[in-house]
Amino acid sequence: MKSTYLLLICFLLSYNMQSQEQYLTKNGAITFFSSTIIEDIKAENNQVLSIIDASKSKMAISILIKSFLFKKALMQEHFNENYLESDKFPKATFKGDILNFNNVSSLDAKYDVQGIITIHGVSKEIVVPTIFKRNGDTILVKGEFDLLLEDFDIKIPRLVLKKIAKEINVTFEFNHKPYNR
Amino acid sequence: MNKNKIIFSILIIGILCFFISYKMYNRPHANITESTPDITLTADTIIDAFSSDETKANSRYLDKILNITGTVSELKLEKNKGIITLKTNQDFGSVLCHLSESASQNIHSLIVGQKITLKGVCTGYLMDVILVNAEITNE
Repeated sequence: MKSTYLLLICFLLSYNMQSQEQYLTKNGAITFFSSTIIEDIKAENNQVLSIIDASKSKMAISILIKSFLFKKALMQEHFNENYLESDKFPKATFKGDILNFNNVSSLDAKYDVQGIITIHGVSKEIVVPTIFKRNGDTILVKGEFDLLLEDFDIKIPRLVLKKIAKEINVTFEFNHKPYNR
Repeated sequence: MNKNKIIFSILIIGILCFFISYKMYNRPHANITESTPDITLTADTIIDAFSSDETKANSRYLDKILNITGTVSELKLEKNKGIITLKTNQDFGSVLCHLSESASQNIHSLIVGQKITLKGVCTGYLMDVILVNAEITNE
């Protein structure tokens, strides 16, 4: 976990020297939904760190698991202690490439973002169709995708199996601003 | 007669169990305003702790209610949620405090450069130390 963070810093620092085309947000939003007949569960995280290097078509995201806030305290506790084990794995990360990326215009443009997502200590390659849009000097990035809990070795006890969906819907919205150190 | 009593008491216990589990299931989040902070420290101390040894700092500060004092370097309101950045002695990394809904409404009374104490829950360290559900404890 620590090394991924160091990588992120290196990524940031090294890229900064070479170009000015970097965009960053420290308060990106990620929301996830689990929907079953018995219960809908939703959690929100508004402290997501996301960095785009437009000249290299790269993107890096870092997420604190404990920043996901639930409506019910008990759910948040179970999520952290039993399912995601956030003391052991405090962060989730994503690093990848924006495929066929060229200049972001003021219109919605869809690009596939391909990379490695790491949650609960398990890494997996994903491709996420993502909308990019320029708004003045900011770049808005948003989209959604589904994740299977079993892909990330997240075990749900039998007792609550019916309350938690096997497939979790994730939506994200990052409003990046130009970053100059 | 005796049978009725037994059935009746089982019923009472059943209802009680249901009520208690329902209460536990819907238990609200800890009230930050009313709870006493676990640790009181400055923005400089916490950024030093996280940047020098993140694992150690995680075990010490994560999920804890912290009282952090520092100087305001940035104030912003996004989607009606207030975010206060506290200055630290490091040029890379600060303390980002995401205010609670009620505290967000008071953000306009603050100014950049003032000294402030915030109480909130620490969720970890990315580029900055992050505090959520923060309340302004003094101005």
